[in-house]
Amino acid sequence: MDFELEWTPEQDAFRKEARAWIEANAPNIPDHPDPANLTREEYELQREFGRRLGAKGWLYPTMPAEYGGGGLSMELAMALEEELDRYNMPLPPYYDTGGKLGGVAILVWGTEEQKAHFLPMILRGEIRTWQLLTEPESGSDLASVRTTAIRDGDEYVVNGTKIFVGSSHGAEYSWMIVVTDPDAPRHENLGWLMMPMDLPGITVEQMDLLFVGGERGAASGIKNTVYFDNVRVPAFNLVGGEGNGWKVAGTHLEIEHGLLRSAVRDDPLTERVFDYARNAKRGSRPLLDDQDVRDRLVDFYIDAEVTRLLHFRNYAWRGQGRQLTYEGAQAYLYQKRGQLSKARAVLDVMGPQALVEAPDDWAVAGGHVEVHQRGAIVDQHPGGTAEIQRVIIARRLGIGREVREEPGRLR
Amino acid sequence: MDLLLNEQQRMLQSTIQDLLRRDFTKETLVSIDAGTVDVEQGWPALASTGLLGSLVPEEHGGVGGSFSDAGVLFEELGRGPVPGAHFSSGVFASLVLRGCGSDEQQAAHLPAIASGDEVSAVAVTEPEYGWERGDVQLVAERTSNGYTLSGVKLHVPDATQATHLLVAARTSGENVGLFIVPVDAPGVACRTLRGLSTGLGEVRLDRVAVGEDALLGGASDSWDAFERAMLEATAVLSAYQVGGLESVFQMCLEYSRTRRQFQQPIGRFQRVQDHIIDIVNHLDAARWTTYEALWKLDTGRPAESGVHMAAALASEGYYLACNAAHDVHAGVGIVREYGLTLHTRMSRTLYHHLGSPRYHRRRLAGALGL
Repeated sequence: MDFELEWTPEQDAFRKEARAWIEANAPNIPDHPDPANLTREEYELQREFGRRLGAKGWLYPTMPAEYGGGGLSMELAMALEEELDRYNMPLPPYYDTGGKLGGVAILVWGTEEQKAHFLPMILRGEIRTWQLLTEPESGSDLASVRTTAIRDGDEYVVNGTKIFVGSSHGAEYSWMIVVTDPDAPRHENLGWLMMPMDLPGITVEQMDLLFVGGERGAASGIKNTVYFDNVRVPAFNLVGGEGNGWKVAGTHLEIEHGLLRSAVRDDPLTERVFDYARNAKRGSRPLLDDQDVRDRLVDFYIDAEVTRLLHFRNYAWRGQGRQLTYEGAQAYLYQKRGQLSKARAVLDVMGPQALVEAPDDWAVAGGHVEVHQRGAIVDQHPGGTAEIQRVIIARRLGIGREVREEPGRLR
Repeated sequence: MDLLLNEQQRMLQSTIQDLLRRDFTKETLVSIDAGTVDVEQGWPALASTGLLGSLVPEEHGGVGGSFSDAGVLFEELGRGPVPGAHFSSGVFASLVLRGCGSDEQQAAHLPAIASGDEVSAVAVTEPEYGWERGDVQLVAERTSNGYTLSGVKLHVPDATQATHLLVAARTSGENVGLFIVPVDAPGVACRTLRGLSTGLGEVRLDRVAVGEDALLGGASDSWDAFERAMLEATAVLSAYQVGGLESVFQMCLEYSRTRRQFQQPIGRFQRVQDHIIDIVNHLDAARWTTYEALWKLDTGRPAESGVHMAAALASEGYYLACNAAHDVHAGVGIVREYGLTLHTRMSRTLYHHLGSPRYHRRRLAGALGL
């Protein structure tokens, strides 16, 4: 059993190539603890870099090359991610639900014409997409969505409201689940649509939230409400056929439930918190003399490590093509709960200084600590609450049932 | 980065699975627990698999296997849980002898430990229980031709099954040496403690005279080498606890499907599901930290933080999983013949062995440079 890759000379050569290319092409964007502060100009730089990555197939390196992905192995994708990480950038380097979630759904469920039309523009970074799932009356019970898409000739007419959508700075496309047949039974009444966001009748309105995070540079920053008022979209854009929207959603939900994390690095917050603790004093004595503080830091470390290992297991096994069942939801549950317990450990150790927002001389670690205090709360809900992860784990393990629930299709 | 057992490890695994099916069925384990079958009855079968020499070098008649290999074997034993001195002698004492013993001492004892002819128990802890250097208070008094040991060692695993004891004692000041003492030496008395723990004993040493050659490595202080051996043994013990956790999880899963109340399987109730999800989370947290710790030991990486983390999670996880399993099973869980209490007792027994979770967490802080 090996916990590290052994790199071959060919893989090392690829890494060198990637490193040189990234050095020549990577934009220099300042670190924003709160991703809401990403400026339009910085976002445009990210997109430009994304298009350059996409032209090489490196934006979504493991997606099939015939549709604009890189067709690369897990190992080469990891090397690429590690090299980008040196510049504090994930893949993709901005918030985009197209290549890792919606794009996989299109790959699994789309017609050949749909794949040829939608995938290249997603995988090459020509468009950025948002996902539109949650509605005011449909959260954990996602299949109860009410937004309708009623067929009218060669078009669907879309009406409804989606919330907790996307990011700052807009998107060219969105993908969404909608009701195509209001009279059909639950789970058979839905469709899955690719929605150009410049169509008449679409209104985007920013929500006022405690915080919105995400993975480093790919964090979404803000969330929006999106209103659809008689929006007419070509029928071609319905992927998977009428009545199959729930199955299509099963594909990207499977990934979102704990298979999104990359394997690249440890939680940077750990070192930030340790640094603080090593240098802080209380009553003129080192903070680390306090046994309670030491114990809380160890709690913090263990939460971070177990989350890392469970995601690492999933990443490695998914790369080998192994069928995962409960493992994704387990890692996601651990991550969510771990964020909360880590936030409390940090508050215990640092006191109210953990709550000071940057820019401010009293903010810890340039504001990252305060952002984590907010993010830990906010991270409990996207991609399914902790309770929903538990429901998935129970069904996949077969607790109380002989027949286990099948995972969503990933290929 | 495969995170899978290799071919040879899968063979080791099936060897022990065969052993459990043949010689350590649940009925046998329950009978050992009830005291109607002697734990030592299974020793020849255990020894015949070669697992007692898993970590003994080949030149001393062992297999010279990796820590991960030993982890595979002991994870399977933990599933029983199979009680007895296989861990104390085959792992802990072997590693202490390897780490602290002279070439002659290793040659004299390791082959017999590997074959199972000699059973060694490590006697470190005392009434003022602990696994730090300062917790060893029993004194070895220098004599003209050796040492005299007097005092009490407490909660020593498998002492009554042992032919030899590896006794930690103060040689002078803070110095702690380790002495190999045959249990039939005059003045040695061992008994097993009754209660919820299983296999833990009291060792009384009443002016036990040993020669100079009894001192491991001839060193008046071998505590640092002992701690390293203890660290290595801890990772294998964690694997044993992972096996126990896996069994507890499987028992609960099965029961959630077959036990019906309110006209449905109890596993349909989310409160029951939550207990079992907590168990599988304890299991996988302990499992993957343990596997990574064993891999770090095998590949010569710094392993302190990994081993301490795994040990804390395995001990706490096994303990808490048993609590949750009793919630799932209610009355049925405390019936001896059902088998859950074998794990409950073992989880309590191992909770402090080779250091409590609290000890490991504090060591972890040190290993992280805090």
